[in-house]
Amino acid sequence: MNATACYFENAMAQESTEIARGLRRRDPDLLDRLIEQYQHRLLRYLMYLTGRRELAEDLFQETWIRVLERGHQFNDKYAFSTWLFTVARNLAIDHMRSKQPASLDGLLNDGEAAFDVPATGQASAFDLSLRREQNEHIAAGMEHLPAEYREALVLRFQEGMTLEEIASVARVPLGTVKSRIYRGLSALEPWLKGAPL
Amino acid sequence: MSAIMNNDAHERARNLIAWAGPEALSGADRAWLAAHVETCASCRVFAENARETIHGLRAIPIAAERSLVAATQMKVRRRALELQRDRERLWLVSISCTAVTLCALLSAVALWRGFEWLGALAGLSPLIWQVGFVVFCVTPSLVAGVLLLLRGTHLADHTGYYEG
Repeated sequence: MNATACYFENAMAQESTEIARGLRRRDPDLLDRLIEQYQHRLLRYLMYLTGRRELAEDLFQETWIRVLERGHQFNDKYAFSTWLFTVARNLAIDHMRSKQPASLDGLLNDGEAAFDVPATGQASAFDLSLRREQNEHIAAGMEHLPAEYREALVLRFQEGMTLEEIASVARVPLGTVKSRIYRGLSALEPWLKGAPL
Repeated sequence: MSAIMNNDAHERARNLIAWAGPEALSGADRAWLAAHVETCASCRVFAENARETIHGLRAIPIAAERSLVAATQMKVRRRALELQRDRERLWLVSISCTAVTLCALLSAVALWRGFEWLGALAGLSPLIWQVGFVVFCVTPSLVAGVLLLLRGTHLADHTGYYEG
């Protein structure tokens, strides 16, 4: 068990070192690979953060440009994804500040926010339909959550980050992360049962 | 007292469920939580709801489109090329500056010796040929500075357009 954990830790550390080396060289092939690898995760994070697909896509591109320009700042002691999400988060906050002096509070709740839940397309069975409906409820619930809660939930349950990693990305104490996750999940509870759509 | 402990137990249980997710608990916490959830209906409901919510969150499909990825890769490559050109240009400027500085130092030494020799030949006092040396060195940059000021070059950008 320990040997396996050690193996994975070493593999991750080695990967981070290689990424850091490539970023310092501004290796475009490495960046191509990273963009492919993190495309869905980063866009999903940005969409939940901003609540708008167009804005999320703009920030997605800006994030990778920033990764290219500031790649030398990546510390290979940490996971690349943690640093990537931090860069994306800072850009999102910068974007909001350019519109109005705000932090994450400004990201959302402006009425036009909408998460698309595309049709699964393959099956039309009752269970799938029910599941889809439930997902729609949760997606709708996410729209109504404060951005901080949404961010914590996405990083924890979609990205599988540890509480410490989330604290590092969001630059808040561990206790705050715990409280946001707990409150976020609690706030989503009524939506699971089909609360006002 | 018992009520307070019960509230603490519920809170601990719900926090464990929320922080760790239903799948990631281990050891003593997992055993304690399992025992608590078995006897507490409200926490059992909370755990079930949390499980479904987390499942729902993971199931919401948000995917980047191929065109976005391709456009981003192209932008990044273009920017990388620009940065590389900038770096090369900076490198050239640095080398040029170093070369110019070296040349200036060598010329200054040679000129100093030349002025010293001329001063001795003409029988001038050291102060006079030293002032002559300074004037000789400074005059070209002074003239260039005055000319640039007269033309207002320092106010214009590369296209000659005045900013202010």
